[in-house]
Amino acid sequence: MRPTPPPIRAFVWGKAMRESRLVVAGGLALGLLAVIAILAPWIAPYDPLAVSLPEALLPPSPAHWVGTDPLGRDVLARLMYGARISLVIGVIAVGVAVVIGTMVGLVAGYVGGRVDSVLMRVVDTMLAFPSIFLLLAVIAMLSPNIYNIMVVIGLTSWMGVARLVRAEVLSLKEREFILAARAIGASTWRIMWRHVLPNVTAPVLVAATLGVGGAILTESVLSYLGLGVQPPTPSWGNILNEGRVALGVAWWLTLSPGVCILVTVLAFNLLGEGLRERFLK
Amino acid sequence: MAAYLIRRLLSMIPVLIGITIISFGVMKLAPGKPTDVMLDFNPKASVEARERMEQLLGLNQPIHIQYLTWLRRVATLNFDRSFRDGRPVTEIVVERLPITLTINVCALVLILGLAIPLGVIAAVRPGGLFDRATTVLVFIGYSTPAFWLGLLGIAWLGVALGWVPVSGLHSLDAESMSLVGRALDAAHHLVLPVGIMTFVGLAGLSRYARSSMVEVLRQDYIRTARAKGLPERLVLFRHGLRNALLPIVTILGLSLPDLIAGSVVMETVFAIPGMGRLFYDAVMARDQHIVMALVTIGAVLTLLGNLLADAAYAAADPRIRVGKSHA
Repeated sequence: MRPTPPPIRAFVWGKAMRESRLVVAGGLALGLLAVIAILAPWIAPYDPLAVSLPEALLPPSPAHWVGTDPLGRDVLARLMYGARISLVIGVIAVGVAVVIGTMVGLVAGYVGGRVDSVLMRVVDTMLAFPSIFLLLAVIAMLSPNIYNIMVVIGLTSWMGVARLVRAEVLSLKEREFILAARAIGASTWRIMWRHVLPNVTAPVLVAATLGVGGAILTESVLSYLGLGVQPPTPSWGNILNEGRVALGVAWWLTLSPGVCILVTVLAFNLLGEGLRERFLK
Repeated sequence: MAAYLIRRLLSMIPVLIGITIISFGVMKLAPGKPTDVMLDFNPKASVEARERMEQLLGLNQPIHIQYLTWLRRVATLNFDRSFRDGRPVTEIVVERLPITLTINVCALVLILGLAIPLGVIAAVRPGGLFDRATTVLVFIGYSTPAFWLGLLGIAWLGVALGWVPVSGLHSLDAESMSLVGRALDAAHHLVLPVGIMTFVGLAGLSRYARSSMVEVLRQDYIRTARAKGLPERLVLFRHGLRNALLPIVTILGLSLPDLIAGSVVMETVFAIPGMGRLFYDAVMARDQHIVMALVTIGAVLTLLGNLLADAAYAAADPRIRVGKSHA
């Protein structure tokens, strides 16, 4: 007595819909955010740096949709400009991590032997390092600015990609098309570049998408601690930092940047998870 | 087993040396010396005084000599003195460590106590209502900045409603309380930070518990257990959970760096005088000996956590002991 199988087409279609719902929701949210970030100079209701002390700490109103901060600056305008900072830092930091991680993983996996064990030992070392220590120490000592933050976040987050790529390469290496490429005399570089690399892009893309969310969270923590983006340039983290003085009074200063961070990171995570289900399962 | 442990312990040494060299290099090569913070606000400090100070602290020697001096001291568990107040670093750390440990152990116990049941219930019916609800919760937990939750908690539960104290570890009148009263007072102060660390940490672990349990429930021996008519409760807990717990142990070891990072942030938000806050203050003041001590302690704790997790795994699962683990 076998149970009746579920209707296959309905099942597959339902599954595809579920997956793409994640991708679509995450993608739409990010698209909207990117548009706001790019158009910030044209659509922001006020100059994000325009100080107006008589208007300090106004609650949300038709004139200032998200209220004003302790210096009377419009919070909505600052949030819009903050989106630029967060997205740029998130994407570039992950770019740095992906480049380093992919190179280390490719070389370790493909060359193997001694090189592999040395590189993997370096990865272990970096993973054992509570990265917040390195982040805080390096940025505090190097003077915090956007470029340092991007590079340092990238330098402390490439290990996952390296492990991922290495594992992929190890399994690819045994496959017949690599063997065939070697048999016709392709150079190591050519094999790595033309045959191995294209086959690791899907998992790397997924890891990168999920990584951007993490990088944005890290940036917000650093900015909140005063070691990230420096005022007066607005970033979601430093708006939270500036809102601390009015904590309990100006709730909009604490609520709104956090919601922005949450929504953005959530969107990247949804997109990444959706891509993972689509490409890697 | 003993040989395995010894091999693993020995392999920690190069990793530790690597970590300390990186941190030492970063600190020494970066602009800004501890003497700047000590002397900048003192207009009477002459160039000669500055040099004398540097000589006294050994800051004028080549960097590798400084590192070796440091390493020799640390080998005897002497982390030198703080640049700020001249107290031995070990003394300061011993004072702060119990606070951070208490917070982290509380959070960890709560995380485990909640994440495992959540994961198990979700795994019993994958795709069911409970599973989907916890998935949403997990995604939100993953994406929420913990320090922001802290700020919201302070603003709403602390300032607006007045339910919990908003900073520090003790009330002002803690001195006059009985021992039990003081403990309750401290617990009251920790409700918010520990609660938030639990919520944020819950996400990863419950997801992990779920997938581990789903995996186990697919195995043949579960079908056998069901087939021979065991009550579902026994199938789930005796046959299922016991096997599903193994991988969870590993992830626990790996989540230590996150907990350490969480302490730095939470202790700063809530002004709790623990190791995390100490690290933040030390970095800001270029107090190199304290920074180095905390980095070393953090790395040792992380490595020991990994080792413990692997050892527990190996002890419970003989298949691991044979093969070399390097995924």
